[in-house]
Amino acid sequence: MDFQLDAEQAAWRDEVRAFLAENVTEELRREMAVHHLDKPDGEVEAFRRKVGQRGWFGLNWPVEYGGLGLSAVHQHILATEFEYAGAPPLDLTVTSVAPMIIRYGTPQNKAEFLPPIARGELRVAVGYSEPDAGTDLASLRTRADLDGDTWVINGSKIWNSAAQRATHEWLCVRTDQQAPKHRGISVIMVPIDTPGIEIRPIITWSGYRTNEVFFTDVRVPVTNLIGEVNKGWQYITGALDLERGALTNVGDLRRAVDDLIALADRPLADGTRPADDPVLRRQLAQLDADVEVAALMGLEAASLLDSGTIPTVQVSVEKVFSSELRQRIADLGTRMAGLAGALSRDSPGAVAHGRFEQLYRAAPLLRFGAGTNEVLRDVIAQRGHGLPRGGR
Amino acid sequence: MRLVLTAEQRELRAVFAELFARQCPTSLVRDLKRPESDGFPPQLWTALAAAGALGLPFGQEYGGQGAGLFELGLFFTEAGAALCPTVVYTTLLYGLAVDRLGTPRHRDAYLPALCAGELVASVAAWNPSDAGDLRPRLRATRDGDGWRIGGTLDFVANAERADVVLVTATEETPTGPGRVLGFVVRPGGPGWSAERLRTIAGDKQSRVRLVDCRVDDDAVLAGPDGRGLDPADLGWVAEAAVALQCAEMVGGTAAVLDRTVEYVRTRHQFDRPIGSFQAVQHHVANMRIALDGARLAAYSALWWLGRGERATRRVAVAKMHCSEAYKWATLTCHQLQGGMGYVRETDLHLWSERAKVTELQGGTADVAARWLEREIGLVG
Repeated sequence: MDFQLDAEQAAWRDEVRAFLAENVTEELRREMAVHHLDKPDGEVEAFRRKVGQRGWFGLNWPVEYGGLGLSAVHQHILATEFEYAGAPPLDLTVTSVAPMIIRYGTPQNKAEFLPPIARGELRVAVGYSEPDAGTDLASLRTRADLDGDTWVINGSKIWNSAAQRATHEWLCVRTDQQAPKHRGISVIMVPIDTPGIEIRPIITWSGYRTNEVFFTDVRVPVTNLIGEVNKGWQYITGALDLERGALTNVGDLRRAVDDLIALADRPLADGTRPADDPVLRRQLAQLDADVEVAALMGLEAASLLDSGTIPTVQVSVEKVFSSELRQRIADLGTRMAGLAGALSRDSPGAVAHGRFEQLYRAAPLLRFGAGTNEVLRDVIAQRGHGLPRGGR
Repeated sequence: MRLVLTAEQRELRAVFAELFARQCPTSLVRDLKRPESDGFPPQLWTALAAAGALGLPFGQEYGGQGAGLFELGLFFTEAGAALCPTVVYTTLLYGLAVDRLGTPRHRDAYLPALCAGELVASVAAWNPSDAGDLRPRLRATRDGDGWRIGGTLDFVANAERADVVLVTATEETPTGPGRVLGFVVRPGGPGWSAERLRTIAGDKQSRVRLVDCRVDDDAVLAGPDGRGLDPADLGWVAEAAVALQCAEMVGGTAAVLDRTVEYVRTRHQFDRPIGSFQAVQHHVANMRIALDGARLAAYSALWWLGRGERATRRVAVAKMHCSEAYKWATLTCHQLQGGMGYVRETDLHLWSERAKVTELQGGTADVAARWLEREIGLVG
């Protein structure tokens, strides 16, 4: 084991930090606060182009696919620094979809999809959940039927985040109606401008936009199917493991706790500091300790990836721990300043620009998103400790 | 940065796991727990000495293995899983303290015997309930060519069986308190009286009262250039003690989790293994999450301490996580094993008792949080 960045890794971190110092501008932050990531041709898009120019969307892909051939630890370092700086994060196209194409895609899949992903031009919306297939994902009903050399897709997807700015759907469909439910699923890449796709926005409590997307006789070439037909379940469970791993970089949590510690030192109107309260100090110390541990969990998962395994149990451990920690951070952040903790960003008197009020509304998502914590606890017990399935 | 054990490190763990499986059954743990036992396991001790475990972190010139503190932590993990008698820990800790705080002459005097298994030892050099508190409880006065020390130590582990105990005392001078010095005291000599305490785990702790206890100059650790022990060095030893104990707790947590997983996999009710119920699986998952956090925090602390400098922040994080992970794992395992885990003959309580002692020893999570509060600037 080695707990310190080596010289090369430290130089990489410094390179990423220097890039962020130059490119995460006030204008970019303001645009993200107001528009999330959704403003076309704005600061976020300009930032993404710069990331793409550096080849960082493909930083841990093999060189033969246009990547930089760096390690999962490198990607973890970059993602952590991006989150700490509040930069637009690497999206799932890069962190979970592309690795699956590299691992399972046909030669044509790779040639067609990887170069534009690396340039930041191809961005997917991940089409997994359906109104009646959420946690029980394998019950999905959106279907694709072969008509000559064309797949014809009918059905609908929900929680289809980023569809409004995606170029493609990474779509999970049923391609064999007779097979057992896990064995009749395939993944098809569907250009978002194909006729027959309708996107309806859904606005969540945090203000984050997601979508319901409807597919009516949507026709795509047979070659858009990823890898082999009816092997999709294997691909998407692998992608979900990577997605959890990418989601649980705790750069944002480290930043939130650092900000809380700084707030605790700032004198209140009566001249005392929040940190004068020993109970608050104890709570902050716990959050600090827990963020440190969550960061170690993330680095361990990245190290395991580099040693050639998809660390299913470890990323599940990390995801459960860090998502529940996020809620505790948001909760303490809103409690530290009395009733002012209820003030939102645009209110007079808002504390820390309302970011903990915002985090309080954003945090529930990661407890149930990307696999509910209840299912992930089952995964930990069953795949980590050999307990039998079937208790749900 | 690579948070995966190397092949050599995995091999080291496997060797010690196998040794403890053979030499440290729970029947031994139970025997040593009895009030009439002195807590010393002759056969295990011989085996550990033969395997080089007692010399693991010490230089080859003393008969040691020259391994790092991190590797010693892997040993403590396997020891913790097997509920190794604490005399092994206190003896190794004494060696680490002499290695760090002593002169070459002190190392020559103690380390070869220790590596060979011929020295049983202990350390009482910080507040037993707060390892961040290094203030001596004893006073020392010059007496001819030696010293007289006096005062009371509330907890000295393995005091009765130890050949030597390292204590610290504040020098008394005509102008008030002087240097902080280390003294190697021989239990049972003139001026030494010890009263056995009875702990929840039956480990051997004594309250020691020293009255004009005489120590010769050659058994005094006076620090660099004789100016007294450097707080940075003594603090490193105290932090290493906490971090190693954290590694022990990681092993203990893993052991009770494994035992309980085995139980819930085989115990049937309502015609199915109780381990198939989601409520049971979630208890298991929560223990695993806490164990992973504790393990990473403990190994991080050990790794940074192994570079030779204090690592207060990481040690605090480790103690906060390990104390709670081990204790709650034992209590959750009692819940999952029900009556079968509650009876003495199934041994679970042996870990539960050790978990409580290790939670308190060196400082609870609350005490460790105070170390962290200082490190992150919440306390001036």
